Amino acid sequence: MPDATVLKMVDGTTLGAEYRAVLRPGELMRDRSRRVRRLPRFFYEIPSWDVALDTQLAPHFQLWEFINVDVRETELLRASWPRYIPCAVSLLAAYLELFRQEVGTYVHVAANGGYRSPAHRFSGHASPHLWGTAANIYRIGDDWLDDDRTITRYGKIAEKVLPGIRALPWGHGVGETDDQLHLDLGYTVVVPSDAPGEEDAGPVPGHDAEIAEVGAR
Amino acid sequence: MAETSDPDDLKARVEQIGRDAGAERVACCMFDYHTRGWWDYQGDEWFHAASTIKVPILVGVFGAIHRGRLARESRVHVRNRFLSVASRQPFRVEAARDANAVVPQHLGRTLKVDELCFHMIVTSSNLATNLLVDLVGLDDLRASVKELEIDGVQLERGVEDNDAFDAGISNRVTARGMVKTLRHIEEGTAFSVEASARMLEIMHEQEFRSGIPAGVPDGAKVANKTGEISTVAHDAAIVYLPGRKPYAITVLTEWEPGSSGRHDTIARISRAVYNHLTAAGKKNA
Repeated sequence: MPDATVLKMVDGTTLGAEYRAVLRPGELMRDRSRRVRRLPRFFYEIPSWDVALDTQLAPHFQLWEFINVDVRETELLRASWPRYIPCAVSLLAAYLELFRQEVGTYVHVAANGGYRSPAHRFSGHASPHLWGTAANIYRIGDDWLDDDRTITRYGKIAEKVLPGIRALPWGHGVGETDDQLHLDLGYTVVVPSDAPGEEDAGPVPGHDAEIAEVGAR
Repeated sequence: MAETSDPDDLKARVEQIGRDAGAERVACCMFDYHTRGWWDYQGDEWFHAASTIKVPILVGVFGAIHRGRLARESRVHVRNRFLSVASRQPFRVEAARDANAVVPQHLGRTLKVDELCFHMIVTSSNLATNLLVDLVGLDDLRASVKELEIDGVQLERGVEDNDAFDAGISNRVTARGMVKTLRHIEEGTAFSVEASARMLEIMHEQEFRSGIPAGVPDGAKVANKTGEISTVAHDAAIVYLPGRKPYAITVLTEWEPGSSGRHDTIARISRAVYNHLTAAGKKNA
């Protein structure tokens, strides 16, 4: 099976208008606490579902697991090809591989629980899922992650073995989770070594308006 | 009582069946395509809908498909977590209350809208139902019911929303409202001929057959949907008999918790309606 190195890396700002409208490369977006975050600009291009099924991001994680979305994702990113995923997903896969080694069994990423675009119906605010750096895990081996004990237990394992990881605590409120384990690396951006520099991108859509708004407050 | 084609006799017969069984309330409504005639007993009485509400929900989902919001092939994340319409608190449907094993087996993954519709009706999957209600939204589902001018159906929430139940928020139907819903499906007017045909196809796969289907001869084909909780037992069906046009029928019954004989009562009322219609056929022959 090929690994992620076979995937073409693209600068999202050079994509067609249709893709830029849903991926919003380099744009600013607010998180749940109204803090401004800059969306990723560099993506892997996935030409087909077969490639997604076939490409290993890590020894036990394939690319398709991170782009498995439902009807809540925009049609462009679920019903047609190519699709795009932020390059930081390779970091997430590496982290999950370490986690898998620790738990010693299968780690299942939920639908909608890997990368989802800013156009996804769940993307009302910036979350690391839009950076390709978060995973919702619904099952580990035979354990379903749907109670306090199991979510807390695996969350602690993740935080022990994965430096800098965030595991949302069990609970029913905002910033908590009760039917899956949410792990994320924060708003991590990967800029490939041979990527064009920032000066080549030109004006970043949304930047000026957002900064002006932030400055005015 | 002898079986006759007199509608008043049928009313008396249905009333008697309910009384004999100890039912608290009984309602029945029927539309016969053979004679284009309506008949009902307490047809406009409101009952807790139980799982019969899944037929209007099915219609509502196909309404959303018709409006282009989703497709039958659209994939839906299977997740057992819903928010109460009353308290906005999360709740889960109990796997033990679901006869369906397929939908829970897909937790974390996806199923197609069409597959969820199938499981919602054929094995009355509560998980499939709530996923569809969550996906389409109550407002959109109600808009579909309204667009088809179906009165006699009040769609207020998904299923197993106990906080809503405690707050007095429940889905309600009348027998006449359910027959109107069935008529749209049978007549191909539930948004399109194709959509109606698919809904009918799904209802023909029904696995719970101890109500209306048990009251008609083996040669009949029945597309139906049951509904049962502690205090009610219902069935809504389109009955296809050889040599005549079909009829749409709904039987709603209300009971003391723990009472028995519910399915048998529905089957007996179904038999009474069948006898009435076939007696009318003999008279007209």
